[in-house]
Amino acid sequence: MRLFLLTVASCFFALAVFSAPISFRDSYGKEGFALSPATGVTSTAQQAVEFIDSIKTLAPSTYWPHVNPAAFLQNVKENVLKPILIYPGIGTNFCGYGALSYLLLQDDPLGYARFMVKLYTTGRAQFGNSDVDPSDPIKKQAGQMRYKGVLDIHPADQLWFLSLADHFKGYLNIFNRHYDVGDEDKFWASVNLAKFNRMARNFLHYKLGSRGSDLIRPHLSDTYQYISNRLQRGKVVLFINNRIVHKKNHERVKLKVPTHFIVVEKISRQDDLITLVYWDYGGKTLMQLSPRFLRRIIFAIVDLKKEAGDK
Amino acid sequence: MTSKLLYYSVVVTVASLLFSCTPKIVATKFYEENEKVLDKIEITYKDLSEERSFAIAFTSKDFKTVSVEIYTDTLKYIYDFEVNEPRLADTLTAYNLNAPKVIGLIGMMQSIRSTWIKNLDYYVDGKKNEVVFLSIKPVAVKAPLSYQKYYILAYFNQQQQFDSKGRLLDKKQKRRLRKINGEVFSRINDKVCYAVSGNFR
Repeated sequence: MRLFLLTVASCFFALAVFSAPISFRDSYGKEGFALSPATGVTSTAQQAVEFIDSIKTLAPSTYWPHVNPAAFLQNVKENVLKPILIYPGIGTNFCGYGALSYLLLQDDPLGYARFMVKLYTTGRAQFGNSDVDPSDPIKKQAGQMRYKGVLDIHPADQLWFLSLADHFKGYLNIFNRHYDVGDEDKFWASVNLAKFNRMARNFLHYKLGSRGSDLIRPHLSDTYQYISNRLQRGKVVLFINNRIVHKKNHERVKLKVPTHFIVVEKISRQDDLITLVYWDYGGKTLMQLSPRFLRRIIFAIVDLKKEAGDK
Repeated sequence: MTSKLLYYSVVVTVASLLFSCTPKIVATKFYEENEKVLDKIEITYKDLSEERSFAIAFTSKDFKTVSVEIYTDTLKYIYDFEVNEPRLADTLTAYNLNAPKVIGLIGMMQSIRSTWIKNLDYYVDGKKNEVVFLSIKPVAVKAPLSYQKYYILAYFNQQQQFDSKGRLLDKKQKRRLRKINGEVFSRINDKVCYAVSGNFR
C-alpha cells in the first residue's frame, strides 16, 4: 500500500515538474488573426459589440436547454464591454479559466463573441487548434449553477467555464474526468500550470514565456524586478499559493502548493514594500507585501508578449 | 488483552461521537449566550458598510493581527495591521470610514473571538440579496486529530424557509437546500442561521 502511494506521489511529482518546464519559450503559430497596429490587440470591443448587435434574434438552443438566449447574449455583451467584471463564482476551481477569460476579452473580444455564439447555436465551436465539443452533462448543467454569487445569473459564463473545464485536461483531472453536479468545486475543474499555458497558447494571440512549476518555485534573483520587466512589455499571470495570501483558517501547517491564478495589473516598490495590483474574481485588488512574502507565494510567472507581425 | 482493546475502542468511539456532534449544539448555545454582542456587531457593521463597503478578518491565532479589506468602485484594498497600530485609524480615515466606530467594531469582534465579518451576495429568482457573515473561533477544547472548526452566523434581511430538520432552503425550489459560501446553514431564528465549518471564510 505504502509502495503504491509512494509510486502515485512520485508520478504526480514528475508530472508536475516535467509537464511545466522550469523555463521555456515557445513561438506562437496560428492562423486567422492579425494584430491591430493602433491598439496592439487582435480585435476591439467595438467590433464585438457590432457583431452581437447584428444578431437580431437568437433562437433557444436545443443543445443548451437551460440557457436563455436573451440572457446569454446580454451576458456576452457585458463581458465584452466590461471584461474586468467576469466572475468565476464563489468556491469554484475556475480561477485559471477566469484569468484566461480576462486576458482574452481584452485581446480578442470579437473572437470570444463569435466562439460563444457558435458554441451556443451549434453545440460545438473551434478556437485556435481546439475543437470544443462539450459533453452532455455540461450542456444540461449550464444555466443551472446556483450559490456561486453573480455567476448564478450569468448563463453564458457558466457555459463558457464549464466548457473549458470539460475540454482541457491536465494531470490534476486524472481521477475526475467526467462532470457530475458540483464538480466545479473539485479536482475536475483544477488547472495546473501546463494546462493553463496550453489554454493560453490556444486562445491568446501572444508569445508565451513561463518560469516556475506546480511544485518548485522559480529561482529568480529579484522576483519583483522580473515581474516588473515582463509587465512593461506585456501581460503577466502569477500562479500563487492563495492559502497564505487569503487565509481561510488558522492552521499553522499549510500545503506549499499553488492554488490560484491572478493577472498582474501593476507592481511598484518603495523601500522594502511592494505594492501589487492584480485582477481576480471580477475585480482588481491592491495588496502590499514584502519582497520575501512575494517570493514565497509565487510558484510560476507566465508572461505574454505581443509581437507585431505574429501570425 | 482482547477485552482491554474492546474497552479502549468503545471509549474512543463514544468520545469521537461526542466531539463530532458538540459543535452544532454549542453553536446555537453560543449565539443564545452572546446574542446581544453578536447582534450589536452585525448592526454596527451594517451601518458602517452602508457608507463604504469593507470586511474585517483576524488572520492570526492570537487576535492581534487584523486584515482590513476596503472596497471602492475600482479597487479592493487589503491591508494588514496590528490591532493597536496608529496606521489603522489613519488608513480607515483615508478611505472615508468612521475610524473610531470601525475600531470599536474590531474591539467587539476581538472580545468575542470573531474572525471574520463581511457582506456576501446571493441571488434568488435572479435578484441580488445580501447576507452578513460573521465567523467565530470557539475556545472549546479541540478533539485530537480533528481540524479546527468555526461557527459561522448568517444574518439575513428577510425571513427564511427551513425544512423539518431546520436546514435553510432555497425559496425557488423549496425542497432544495441552499448553500452559501459552500455551506448548508441551520436555523437559529427566522433570520439568523449558523453553520460549522473548517474555514472562517
